[in-house]
Amino acid sequence: MKESGLYIHVPFCEHKCIYCDFYSIITTGKVRDYIDALKREITYYQPLYSESRFFSSIFFGGGTPSILAPDLIAEIIGALYQSYTISGDAEITMETNPGTVDESKLRAFKLAGINRVSVGIQSFNDADLKFLTRVHDSQTAINTIHTLRECGFENINLDLIFNLPGQTLEAWTKNLEEAVKLPVQHISAYSLILERGTILYKMQVEKKVVISDDDFDAELYRETISFLSDNGFEQYEVSNFAKPGYQCRHNNHYWQYRDYLSFGTSAHSFMNGKRWWNNSALTFYLRSMKNTGHARSGEEIITPDEMHDEYIMLALRNSGIDTNDYISKFGSGWLIAKQPEFDKLLSAGFMKNTEGRLQMTASGYAVCDEIIKRLL
Amino acid sequence: MNKLRNFCIIAHIDHGKSTIADRLLERTGTVSKRDLVSQVLDDMDLERERGITIKSHAIQMHYLAQDKETYTLNLIDTPGHVDFTYEVSRSLAACEGALLIVDASQGVEAQTISNLYLAIEAGLDIIPVLNKIDLPSAEVDRIKHQVIELLGCADEDIVLASAKSGIGIDEILEAIVKKIPPPTGDVTNPLQALIFDSVFDVYRGAIALIRIKNGTLREKDKIRFFAHDNVYEAEEVGILGMKRTRTGVLCAGDVGYVVGGIKDVHDTKVGDTITTVKNGTTEQLPGYKVVKPMVFSGLFPTETEAYEGLRDSLDKFKLNDSALVFQPETSAALGFGFRCGFLGLLHMEIVQERLYREFNQAIITTLPNVEYIVHKTNGKQVKIDNPADMPQLGDIDHIDEPYVRAQIVTPSEYVGNIMKLATEKRGVYINTTYIDETRADIQYEFPLSEIIFDFYDKLKSTTRGYASLDYELIEYRESDLVRLDIHLNGEPVDALSMIVHRSKSYDWGRKVCDKLKDLIPRQMFDIAIQAAISTKIISRTSVKALRKNVLAKCYGGDISRKRKLLEKQKEGKKRMKQVGNVEIPQEAFLAVLQID
Repeated sequence: MKESGLYIHVPFCEHKCIYCDFYSIITTGKVRDYIDALKREITYYQPLYSESRFFSSIFFGGGTPSILAPDLIAEIIGALYQSYTISGDAEITMETNPGTVDESKLRAFKLAGINRVSVGIQSFNDADLKFLTRVHDSQTAINTIHTLRECGFENINLDLIFNLPGQTLEAWTKNLEEAVKLPVQHISAYSLILERGTILYKMQVEKKVVISDDDFDAELYRETISFLSDNGFEQYEVSNFAKPGYQCRHNNHYWQYRDYLSFGTSAHSFMNGKRWWNNSALTFYLRSMKNTGHARSGEEIITPDEMHDEYIMLALRNSGIDTNDYISKFGSGWLIAKQPEFDKLLSAGFMKNTEGRLQMTASGYAVCDEIIKRLL
Repeated sequence: MNKLRNFCIIAHIDHGKSTIADRLLERTGTVSKRDLVSQVLDDMDLERERGITIKSHAIQMHYLAQDKETYTLNLIDTPGHVDFTYEVSRSLAACEGALLIVDASQGVEAQTISNLYLAIEAGLDIIPVLNKIDLPSAEVDRIKHQVIELLGCADEDIVLASAKSGIGIDEILEAIVKKIPPPTGDVTNPLQALIFDSVFDVYRGAIALIRIKNGTLREKDKIRFFAHDNVYEAEEVGILGMKRTRTGVLCAGDVGYVVGGIKDVHDTKVGDTITTVKNGTTEQLPGYKVVKPMVFSGLFPTETEAYEGLRDSLDKFKLNDSALVFQPETSAALGFGFRCGFLGLLHMEIVQERLYREFNQAIITTLPNVEYIVHKTNGKQVKIDNPADMPQLGDIDHIDEPYVRAQIVTPSEYVGNIMKLATEKRGVYINTTYIDETRADIQYEFPLSEIIFDFYDKLKSTTRGYASLDYELIEYRESDLVRLDIHLNGEPVDALSMIVHRSKSYDWGRKVCDKLKDLIPRQMFDIAIQAAISTKIISRTSVKALRKNVLAKCYGGDISRKRKLLEKQKEGKKRMKQVGNVEIPQEAFLAVLQID
């Protein structure tokens, strides 16, 4: 039985934040159509991927899935259970924005089956939030976490962004201190990425904002890693930290090169060595679902060489290369050939060898892309 | 033979040589207007783009003159850049006369003068032509005056022309017929044919372009070259029209070609004499000065596997460019490559560009340098064209470097700027003469090494483009020179070494270090950059280790994109050279050229 993950994309948002490059739209007029289309897509792939496979995670990403009514979430989860084998202890995550949810809605989500919530807080500093054009303020964010806890959620993540324009090391550390005070088991801390096509990108090109350089970013990042590890959050991926036992199973499917099947606009799936992706625009997705029963707009067969490179790339970003697992998949030739490179990285302190697992140290994570480039 | 005229055109760059040639071809019906790709003689793309003639060409025309006689005119084209002076002298030896083209706005320039002297030395009759007389900026009287001063000719000897508008073309043709003497020589004498150029044809082998000085060459003749003992049969003989036109015979005075199934282009050595095996002569025509490369640099393939391919490309290249010399070189930093000798920096650029275009070879070029003569303490002398080969400091008694005599023609208001530049470049002032009230001809002596990099560009910018330069090698002189080495993380990188004057070494050391700091991307380790003379470090800086390079997010939808980005970066990495732990981008090897 192959272990895999399920992903549902919810493209709706109350508004578009300046740094966001995900596909999302503000209109909610087509929500019903979208839910129906999702259900059709879920059934469409059932004959192809339901046999000798079980799914141990469901992830609602967006967009802002939490603006959907809980009964719609329940409807989708129900459709998934009907078509696929889902393990009894499946991790079912929903991304949430503070301010889109209240206690009764959260209780309803819990009843619908959600057992892990990821909260897009980004910062506890109101000026930062305003700059990012987030709809919530920091007190709302804090309240949301406490409410989640009261509703019985025991697996909570919060997202933070660092290296915001003008952010000092002290201000960032304060965010981290605030975060670890809350009853959360998982923290994602992302360095601000300037994505082309975002409003922020335009602002930077027009010199309306100044983003600090990589050296300062590196300083914030180093502080993040050491602060969170001192507070019991273990780094298991470039931007992800968790208390023991609380790593995100769904995301680990991506990083540990397991299959994932995804539904909705711009969703990417990776099944049996093939990757495909859906139309990203809602109208195209709906039309395509109506006409053909699926919404694939592109696909690629990953060649053995590409598979190797993706595996290495993802493993190094995650918890490292488990040499036994690696050798069982790809043989030992490459590892032997790269031994001198690895030795250099190990002795320079960029990597460590933990019981046959070649993994990054804090300084290694910071230059992970450079290391991957060197090795491949 | 009385109806035959062999001539060439000499001019400074851009004074309109190629356009004049086009008009002559058109007027004589050699090419129809319709077929006239602008500037017929510049048939390499690169020549047309850069507006310079790199190789000599020859073409035959027929002209019905005012005396109702039809004359055969052979035009032998010449390059107009200082790097290619030797090509000019080759062409001159095949002619009896020359058109001297002077731009009616620009006036006499450095190459006008130097090429004119070459032509006079070769005993040619000169027809002065003022071109572009119809431009609003033309100053016909003033420039005429310059030409009269220069040539000592009469006012009425100067032909006024505008190639663009077709003015004066008939007058030029009449002057060629009337003023240039027909060739001398005797068709019954033993054969003496001068090779003034050779081209390589993949199907026919090396083809010699020749000027028959004496005797007659017929197809089937067994021919012999003075430079070697190989005997060939003249398989095909003909004249050079728009294409090669077979005539079966060439007589004294003629310009044409001979095909002999000659596989090795070295067998058709430019300047060599051809004679027949039977009834041949033992008298060789005066050849050319052997062309000596003045600028040397290492060429290395970016990918080590491409070494053989680069050798093949250079071999092929040499078939059509006898001035290029090369031999294998091994660099600790760059691996296997070739040490190449060029006539000048432009020649180097052209070779590089043509290798890239015609042979599809990406190459790393190291810093160009001149050839030094090192006098060792043991009394021996060695020639050094590669800084890496410089003997140990303790073994060197002294070093001589080549000096050139440079001629700079400039509007007089820039004389001060030029003198300032010349001082920076260790120039030795000789004298100044005035071509007229506004134009000075300044003579300097320079170490060649000082003018091969950026002198020309700086000269142009300090004179707003008005000054022109020509130079020739004069002699070797003792100089206080040192080898400046660059160390990266304590390891000397041989390909970055250079020979500089001691007085400039500290300044250079600092500038090179700074430039390398800009060019070498930050890597995972600190990179110490040091400039050293022997064991003494004279300058240092460092590239700080890269502290952050990681994409924050990589989820299900990002993986393909991230992998593709990685593949692209891997390609980019191939263009870097790994020296020890340090990755050096190609452009760093020419860093010094970018220093002010």
